[in-house]
Order: sequence, then C-alpha cells, then structure tokens
Amino acid sequence: MALDLFYIVIFPGFLFLGAISLVFEYIDRKLYARLQNRIGPRWYQPLADIIKLLTKETIIPKEADRRFFAAVPMVALAATTAAFLYVPIWSSRSLMPFASDLIVVLYFLTIPTLCFFLAGWFSSSLFAQIGGVRALTQLFAYEVPLYMALLAPALLAGTWSISGITAFYHQHPIYLLLNIPAFCICIISAQGKLERVPFDIPDAETEIVGGTFTEYSGRLLALFKMTLNSEMVVVAALIAAIFIPVFVQSAILNFLLFLVKVFVIVFVLALMRASFARFRIDQMISFCWKVLAPISLAQILVDIIVRGIILK
Amino acid sequence: MENEVLQKIAERFPSVAAEQAVVKHHRIYLSVPNELLVEALSFCYEELNFRHLCTITGLDNGKEYELLYHISKDDGLLLTLKRTAPYQEPVVIPTVLSIYQGATFYERELEGLLGIKVEGLPEGRQYPLPDNWPQGEYPLRKSWKPKQAGGAGQEASV
Amino acid sequence: MSKIMVPLGPQHPALEEPESFNLLLEGERVAASQVCIGYNHRGMEKAAESRTYLQNVYLLERICGICSHSHSTCYVQTVEDLAGVEVPQRALYIRALIGELERIHSHMLWLGIAGHEIGFMTLFMYAWKDREIVMDILEMLTGNRINYGMNTLGGVRRDVTPEMADKIREAVGQLQERTEYYSRVILGEETVYLRLSGVGKLSKADALRFDTTGPVLRASGVGRDVRRDDPNGIYPNLDFQVITDDHEDVYGRTVVRVKELLESYKIIRQILDQLPDGPLTVKVPNRIPAGECISRYEAPRGEDIHYTRSNGTDKPDRVKVRAPTLANSAAIAHMLDGGYLADVPIVIAAIDPCFSCTDRMVRVTDANSGQAQSMDWESLRRYSAQWYRKQGMDFSRIPLR
Repeated sequence: MALDLFYIVIFPGFLFLGAISLVFEYIDRKLYARLQNRIGPRWYQPLADIIKLLTKETIIPKEADRRFFAAVPMVALAATTAAFLYVPIWSSRSLMPFASDLIVVLYFLTIPTLCFFLAGWFSSSLFAQIGGVRALTQLFAYEVPLYMALLAPALLAGTWSISGITAFYHQHPIYLLLNIPAFCICIISAQGKLERVPFDIPDAETEIVGGTFTEYSGRLLALFKMTLNSEMVVVAALIAAIFIPVFVQSAILNFLLFLVKVFVIVFVLALMRASFARFRIDQMISFCWKVLAPISLAQILVDIIVRGIILK
Repeated sequence: MENEVLQKIAERFPSVAAEQAVVKHHRIYLSVPNELLVEALSFCYEELNFRHLCTITGLDNGKEYELLYHISKDDGLLLTLKRTAPYQEPVVIPTVLSIYQGATFYERELEGLLGIKVEGLPEGRQYPLPDNWPQGEYPLRKSWKPKQAGGAGQEASV
Repeated sequence: MSKIMVPLGPQHPALEEPESFNLLLEGERVAASQVCIGYNHRGMEKAAESRTYLQNVYLLERICGICSHSHSTCYVQTVEDLAGVEVPQRALYIRALIGELERIHSHMLWLGIAGHEIGFMTLFMYAWKDREIVMDILEMLTGNRINYGMNTLGGVRRDVTPEMADKIREAVGQLQERTEYYSRVILGEETVYLRLSGVGKLSKADALRFDTTGPVLRASGVGRDVRRDDPNGIYPNLDFQVITDDHEDVYGRTVVRVKELLESYKIIRQILDQLPDGPLTVKVPNRIPAGECISRYEAPRGEDIHYTRSNGTDKPDRVKVRAPTLANSAAIAHMLDGGYLADVPIVIAAIDPCFSCTDRMVRVTDANSGQAQSMDWESLRRYSAQWYRKQGMDFSRIPLR
C-alpha cells in the first residue's frame, strides 16, 4: 500500500512527472527561443511560472458550473499522470505492465483533450466555447492517424503491450526501419494532441483570445499548464518507447537513455513549432484525413502483410 | 490638363462659375451650386474619369457650412468641388454613396462632427464620437466650445 | 446551424489599437460583420484650430506613432504652399529619406505582425529584430525612434552628415540582404502560403469601388501611388517602380510590401547619391495668407491627405486629415464576409491599421526645482536601481545579458 502510494505520488508518478515536465518545458522554450533569435528563459522560469500561478487568485465566472469548472483540470492532470505509470522509463518494462497497456495509455491520453473541451464548455464564455469545440473537432482529425500510426508497430510485433513491443523490436531491430513513416505521422499528430503550432488552433490567441483557457486563472490554470507539459513528456516517452526501443542492462543508463530520447523528440517538436505558421481548422482536418490517415492506413497494411508473409 | 477639365465642366454645367475656380499645379478648387453637386460629381466620375474620392471635408467658415469633395484621377489631378449649406437646422445634404461607395465613413464623420444630416446614408453606429456622446453636440462647429479641458464627453455642452 | 455573435474588440489580443468588429458566426465561417471604429478619436482636428501653424506640426505628427513623418510632411506641404515659400532641395531630400526609412520600419513591423496573426511567431521575432537596424538609423538621424520631429515649416531640423550617410548605406545593405531572404524563404513557405492565399479577397473592381489605397489597392492590381502620380518634393527625380500584384488577397499584400521594401532601399541609395548641398530651412512667416490647400503623401499604409484652410492669422481655420486606414476601413467588412474566423485577424492586419509605440528616451522633470534633464536608457536604469535599493530591493546583482 505504502509502496503504491510512493509510485503514484512520488516516483514515477505525480512529483517526478511534474519535475521532469518542467525540465522539458524549459528545454522546449529555450530551444524555441534560440530558434527565434531570442535569449529565452532561465532554467527556473517554468517553475517560477507555476509558483506564480499557484499563488494567484482563482476566479471562477458566475455563469460557470463551479464544481465542473474546478474538477476538470484535476481530472486532466490525473489522467496524464496515470498514463505515465504505464510508459517504460528505466527498463524495457513499465512499472505495472499488463497485456494491452498500449490501448490504456492511448485512452488515458484522450481524457485531457476531452477535459479541454469540457473546460471550454463549462466556462460559458464565447471564446472558451469556440476553443472547446475546436479542441474536439481537432481531436477527431489527429486521433485517427495518431492511433493507427501507434498501432501499426504493435500489429507487426503481434502484441498490444508496450513491453512486448519493445521486446520484439529489441530482437528484430531491422523492422524499426519499416515503421519510419508511422514515426513521422506520430510526431506530426502529436503536435495536434499537444495543441502546439501549427495545430494550436484551440487556443489561437489572435482569434479567440485564450481559447479553452480564457476563463481559467490561478491554481486551475496552473493545473492545465502542468497537464500540457506532462502530456508532452508522456507522448514523447510513448513515441520513444515504441519507435526507439533501445535499452541496455543498467537501469541508470536506461534512465539517461530515456532522457536523451525524450530530448530528441522534444527538439523535433520545438523545431516544428518554430518553422510553421498556424493552420486553419479546415486545412488541419483535410490535412489529417487526406494525407496522414491514408499514409498510416498504408503503414498498417504493410505491417500486416510483412507479419503475415515473413514472420509467419 | 487642369484647364481642359475645367472647360469640360463649364461646357456641361453653364451655371458653374468656372472662371472663379482656383487652379494650381495638379489642383482645381471649384464651387458648384448646391443642387448641382451630385450631378457634377457623377459627371466627373463617368465622363472625366475621376474614379477616386480622396475624402470629404466639412467645415464651418463662420458664415455657413462648406462641404468639399476631393476627387482625383490617375494622372494626379485633384479636383475639389465645393458646396455650401446654410446655418439652418436641420442641415440636410444628399449622399454621394451611389457614385463613390467608399464615402460611408466620410459622410458619417460629417454627421458626427458637424451635425450635417446626410440623406440616404444607411443606418450605422456614429463615427468618430463615442456612443454616449450627448445629442446635439458637434465639435467642429465654430459655435461649439469645450466646456473645460479634461472634461468627459457627457459634461461637454455649449 | 445556429448563428452566434462574437465581439472582436475593442480590446483583443489580435488588435493593437482599440477598434471593434462584431462578427456573426456560422460555425467557423463569418456570415456577416460590422466594423466599429472611432475609439481613438482625440479631437485633433478641433485642437489644431486653436494652435499656431508651427505647433500643429508637432501635434499632427502625433496622429500616428508609425507614420508620424508622413502626417507632418503632408501638413507642412500645405502650409508651405499657402505661404508660398520654396523649400530648399536638401531639406526635401532629407524629408524623403526619413519618409522612406519610415516606410521600411513600418513594413518590417507589419511583416512581424502578420506572422503573429497567423501563429508564426518565428517570423515575428525575425522581422522585429531586423527592424531594429532601421530604428537605430532613425534614432541616429533624428534622435527618436518614432515621432521624429524632423519636419519644421520651411524645411527640416537636422542635417545628414557624410558619416551618417555611410552608416545608412551599410544598414540598407544589411536590410536588403535580410529582405531578400524573407522574400525567398517566407513567401515560399507552404504553411504561410496556405494561410494567406485566397484569404481576404478583394477584386480589382471592389478595390476601386471602395476607394482603398496603398498596398491593399496595389495588391489588387491597381498601380496607384502618389509618389509617382502626384509627386511632391523630390520624387520626380528618383527612379523607382510602383509595385503591383495580381493575387488580390492577403498573400498579394504581403508580396507588395516585401517588394516595396526593396524599392525603398533603391530610393534611399539614390537619395544619398544625389543629396545636394544647401541650407536646411527657409523662413516661413507666422501669419499665413488666407487660402486653402490640399496635399497628398504616400504613407506606408497608403494615400494620406491633409487639407488646410487659412484665414490670414497665425492659426489655421480648419485642418482636415484623412489617414489611409480610414480609406481602407470601408472595405474590411467586404473582405471578412464569407471567410473563416481564423482568418479575421490576418485580414484586418493586412490593411495595416496604425498603432502607437513608446519611446526609449524620457525627459524627467524634477517637480521641486523644475529642472529638466534628459536621461538615456543606461542612466535611467541606474537611477531606477538606486531608487529601488533605497526601498530595500537590490536588483543590481542580476547580470543583464
């Protein structure tokens, strides 16, 4: 019982994820700033931001549903933290692996997006509602290619468990090359999942002010910021576990490897953020359905054929 | 170039006192009888190719209101057609929107700042004064004086 | 689908100055829009009637923080014409020089804003960094980053030395290199093209119908430019092209502005090469003979118009200002209708509405002694640090990077 609490609250749960997500937020912001010719923040800036938000007054609009308004950010953060428990960190196995944990992680990762929609909806504010509807619309666009691209390597490995997938590719590293298109699709749709440029449509400030988060302030906004940061780490860790399953014997080395892998993915994400303009929602949807979805479908077909013919 | 345009206007509208026009390089300032103004603008637009309405200036010269329609054509000639409106409430002039569709804001400005009613202008928010500006206060009239510097719009009255 | 009314403004992150747009939305599409402007009315035309001609130069310069030189030049042209004075050639050249530098600074600023509006922050950061080059040049020439105070009745107030001219040439070289980079990279970037092309369509006929001016009009394929059609000052002596584009959308407006930057560099080089010797000002009488004059000037945003009526005293009877943004405002509603909500900010930004900036030099007056002193940034920083140290806060150990 005590050990479970330790897992959930300290490592690798809430506190560890919070700390590491601040580190990667710093890295992301610093890289973004350097790519834009700016100096960028100090190392403690993300922490300072969170502390500042935590000390600020939380204002809940009169029109909003108080309980839902306050509960939604907590659910979002809890879901992200829960997802992290099933992602491998210091070995090829996660903390509590079971048969189809990949599906569970994906499921957990959908909850924050739904929370963004609910948050916007319960704010009863015009801009927040438009932002919420956009978040949901966007969900239907990137979710399909993202899932198909993550499931393709699983199909090839013949298992739904993350540990099983990493073990398979550890034995057959050559098949990793087959999944490169799926990897690219994952990186692109992850930008949509994390609501970052070019898919930061739900909180495009020049159009709809703060989007979903327009009415949020203080502690509740801090929770949302932490959710977004941890989501980035979880998604990056998941992509790293499935597409770059490089593990050694030592747990400490594995942990360092984990950091390097997440760093590489965050770097690619920051690079994308710096070099694109924001899409319009219709362009984003047609891009996801007309370009990403067919490619990921083809990827799945290729993986099934390879599995059926070669690995029989 | 300037005289040619002036001559054409004089031929078309014999009642316009073309010889009193002030002509400078690229500039003509010409008074037209009030009732002829819209017709004259229409003629300049259609026949003389004055396709661009630069702006409309409304002013109070101490005796009456003057309305100046500055129109230009692509060779750089800028023609100013003037009409007047007497101090006689309500002051009403016809709109020129049927000829120059960009005139909305210029005419609304006349309504807002000089209190000249423009007939035919579609309904809309007043411009450029705020919504809570008191009725009947028209800052560009010479008779209007701000009550006191720094006073809010509501307090300003003659 | 149900329709909702979304207010954009008067305060909104996409707008740099108060103005308000009411958008009737059908899903993500704009079904109808209403433009409400006038929040920035400061009664300057009325104020100008109670000030002397010379005071008005500096009052009217403050109409706009970005095209301040355009407004003051346009105004002094009317007064000089009414007074019948011949402005020295050197002064006219310097006026045109500042005017073109102002155009560069304005277009660079616009490029950054456009990046911001379409969520391309990297472009914003790059363009504004390069804009600092021209801001430094303007500060060197006039002492100010904006509201230059360069014009006076009958000429200009400061001279351009050969050393300054060399620095301008060097800066223009750098800027040209950067602008060519932008026109190559930015205009070729796929997401930028997707976001800008076909957005805010304004056909040639509509552009003429709504009496638009400046880059908005030129991007719809109409080559109308006061600098060529009705030139004032020294523009007839210069060789430049009026840039037009046939895209008729926001992408076209971007292309026009980027290409106009390149034309401005060309103009500045010619001005520096031709700069004649001579006095900077001529005397203009305090009392201006009765008369009227209208003058036009091609500001960065389009045709700027000033009309002055004099009555023989030292104060004008009427000063009328028509800023280019007003001329373009009538077309905004037309450009917004039928478009996407996501495109509203960039369509509004594409006419380049004006806003004010702050100055880096401050003039501090001691309330007790009445003494005024000028402080530069460094000494102001030192002063502020000392002041806060007295309050028990010491920031001096934080190294500035």
